[in-house]
Amino acid sequence: MKKGLPIAVAILSGLFVLAGLIFQPYLGPYLGLVLNWAVIVGSMALLVAIASLIIYHARSILTARKGFIFSIVILASFGLSLVGGLWLGVDNPAYLKWVGAIQRPLEVSLLGLVALIMTSAAVQVFRNRGWSPLTVSFGLSAIFFLLIALGLLQTLEVPQIATVIGYIRQLPLVGARGLLIGVAIGAVMMAIRVLLGSERPYSD
Amino acid sequence: MSSVDLALGLVGVALTIMIFSYILGDNLFFRVGLYVLIGVAAGFSAAVVITKVIIPLLYVPLRTPGTPAFYWALVPLVLCALLALMLSPRLSQAGKIPLAFLSGVLAALALFGVSRGTLAPQLLATIGRFSPALLMQASQINWAGVIEGVLILLGVIATLFFFHHRQQVKQVGGGSLLDGMSSVGQIFMGITFGALFIGLYMTALVALISQLNWVKDFITSLL
Repeated sequence: MKKGLPIAVAILSGLFVLAGLIFQPYLGPYLGLVLNWAVIVGSMALLVAIASLIIYHARSILTARKGFIFSIVILASFGLSLVGGLWLGVDNPAYLKWVGAIQRPLEVSLLGLVALIMTSAAVQVFRNRGWSPLTVSFGLSAIFFLLIALGLLQTLEVPQIATVIGYIRQLPLVGARGLLIGVAIGAVMMAIRVLLGSERPYSD
Repeated sequence: MSSVDLALGLVGVALTIMIFSYILGDNLFFRVGLYVLIGVAAGFSAAVVITKVIIPLLYVPLRTPGTPAFYWALVPLVLCALLALMLSPRLSQAGKIPLAFLSGVLAALALFGVSRGTLAPQLLATIGRFSPALLMQASQINWAGVIEGVLILLGVIATLFFFHHRQQVKQVGGGSLLDGMSSVGQIFMGITFGALFIGLYMTALVALISQLNWVKDFITSLL
């Protein structure tokens, strides 16, 4: 019974949503209600995850665990951000300006740092995986699209080169389409397994 | 420049330097920057979820007892209460029911959304290359269109085959024809990854240049 109840809940809720999507004219209002419940439960799951993070760092400070100085930083920034949002409202321009002034430089700098890390990661691909059709085509494609992005090939102003560039630019779309179809088939298979109760992500 | 803008600008410059200090190796300043990012993001997310979801969708209906909205809101209230019990290690099993509900709903939405929004359009776009309207031009066969359609179909099949073949090779070993098909799939995937890599690389490079430019402009405005 203990194991059966979550499986029954997953199957019934999934089948109801599926039925609601197929028979929308009849089940539309109830579908909206169930999706609202899912939004509330999903939001609560996020709050529980955040609470778990905060409890972990609060324990780190109380037990003076190694690196607890970082826990003080995270709790202070979390507290200021949360209290500010609840006190002033998350739509308040002053609050948004304050949050943006901290988040923007951090996020943009991290993205900038990615450029430097990606350069060494590209070299590591060849070191770790050796020479294979995948790595060779990856390297050639990266060099070609770098030259296009920098506009070096376009400056030659040769009509034949422009035609060839146009054809080669379509090649990544072929692989991307194959990848998308593969990922979509995988997602559909996983969803069917969850709806049949053979896959239980909630019991881990 | 107002004193608030000056203070926020100085904070931004300090945080930028803290993150870029990673170039010298993993250090205290970089980690403090990361923890500030996590803390502020978590606090902001919690504030948004509480004010935009929990209060209007759960708390407000529960303040009007006897109405249909009140009774409907009791279901998510119970599920949220069970979810909150997950914070206690002894009662964490109770959280399986709301998570199962969420898994079921998301699986159904994924099944419907992915099959209609991704799988069907991509398959139709691949097959659509062979439509008579595209392959015939003034009652003549457009051979360039035929070759392009065949190449795209071959590329898509080879890419899909690469995933399947990898599993088979692990189990029973592969034949030469299968290896050849798998290699074609690898080439198409490599080309795609190379193009994606450069797209992301250029974005990151633009972010790096714009941030350094912003720091330079801010310091110049102070002088």
